[in-house]
Amino acid sequence: MKRIVPLALSALLVACATPHNHYDPLEPVNRPIYEFNNAIDKAALKPLAQGWHDYVPHPVQYGVRNFFGNIDDLFGIPAALLQGKATPASRSFARVLVNTTAGLAGLIDVASTLPIEKQDEDLGQTLGYWGIPTGPYLMVPFYGPLTVRDSAEPISRFAWGPIDYIDPLGGQIAYYSTYLVSARADLLPLDAAIAEALDPYAFIRDAYLQRRWYKVHDGNPPHPLALSDDMDEQDEAPAQTETGNQPAQ
Amino acid sequence: MPKLIGLILAITLTGLMPAALATNETPEQLVRQSSKDVLDIIRKNDKDPAKIRDQVDARVAPLADYTRMTQLAAGRYWKTATPEQQQALTREFRTMLVRTYLSALSIYKNAQVEVRSVRQGSSSDEQDVRTEVTLPGEKPIPLDFSFEKNSNDWKVYDISVNGVSFINNHRNTFASVIKSEGIDGLIKQLASRNASGSSNK
Repeated sequence: MKRIVPLALSALLVACATPHNHYDPLEPVNRPIYEFNNAIDKAALKPLAQGWHDYVPHPVQYGVRNFFGNIDDLFGIPAALLQGKATPASRSFARVLVNTTAGLAGLIDVASTLPIEKQDEDLGQTLGYWGIPTGPYLMVPFYGPLTVRDSAEPISRFAWGPIDYIDPLGGQIAYYSTYLVSARADLLPLDAAIAEALDPYAFIRDAYLQRRWYKVHDGNPPHPLALSDDMDEQDEAPAQTETGNQPAQ
Repeated sequence: MPKLIGLILAITLTGLMPAALATNETPEQLVRQSSKDVLDIIRKNDKDPAKIRDQVDARVAPLADYTRMTQLAAGRYWKTATPEQQQALTREFRTMLVRTYLSALSIYKNAQVEVRSVRQGSSSDEQDVRTEVTLPGEKPIPLDFSFEKNSNDWKVYDISVNGVSFINNHRNTFASVIKSEGIDGLIKQLASRNASGSSNK
């Protein structure tokens, strides 16, 4: 799994080597990878996720989702602390504490019933909070959309996440596959919209970039993210008035 | 467009649309009332996605400015289109939005919509109503409606789910299709998808 990291880095180097002012400079590399991911999705991942969604007993589905959600909460603590956000950090800490113990290693989300609200922070958002730009958009094999900045989160998870403590490779593969299938099952409702898109690659990219922009600003972005190749696209969109300065794209 | 007007008229006449919708309500009131009605429709018809789609479409049509939505999605190419092309594009874009998004509403059977805040847009004729959709046991989904006032009525010209705007998300694709195949090419592509999509329902 750690092979993805050098791959992402080499993609980044390619990006630096070729001058582009395009907001998706790696598109020529990304598109074939998208096709590749998409082929795997069609052949294996999506059917598995559909089967997971249709046949696996609901308590198991919830258990798996909660287990991985507990790890999200754990990594959300430093992500919030590094932004100086004390309340989200303490909430995530309390959630991990409650869910890991009373929630049987995270399988039951006891914290939400208390309720201690789930937070949404990750290291990519932390970097964005401090004004680090996203860098080029990446389509990562076996993973999906990412930007160079936002790769901070998956990279830290590969380094310090539970996957590192699982010894045999088979165990690591089983862990990651379960995560992937469960996460993919949660995305099944989006498939209809993606299938309808005239250009699914661009649709996913633009949705991903907008979503990250929104999250970095905690749901309160100063202006909508400008997504355009053409500098002269200053049409009468009411919301597109100040696309010139983007402190933290 | 004539079809759209006909549809709206038909809905009004059959009394599906409450008279109160017609004038001067604030965006927040419009969102509260219509989300309540939409959730009622979903709950009553949760086994029949096509029925949900049609009834929700009828309920929200008077609130949506599809022409404005299409204009923004088409960006600077809008001005280069003839009125006929603009109408055709609006019709196909609208059909696509309804087909794609309103057909998938049955999963929101147990959802609740809460208004989080109302934000002034860049002028007094613009307002964003920010809501949260909550499903039991899941993270709330932010759902924001952008309103614009034309003459006396507030109309929705964009919807963002999780910060992802409908018009922004179609703008690039529309631009690249128009660049290579022209506006008629885009209309044709949307129309053929709409046609094939409705036949396998």
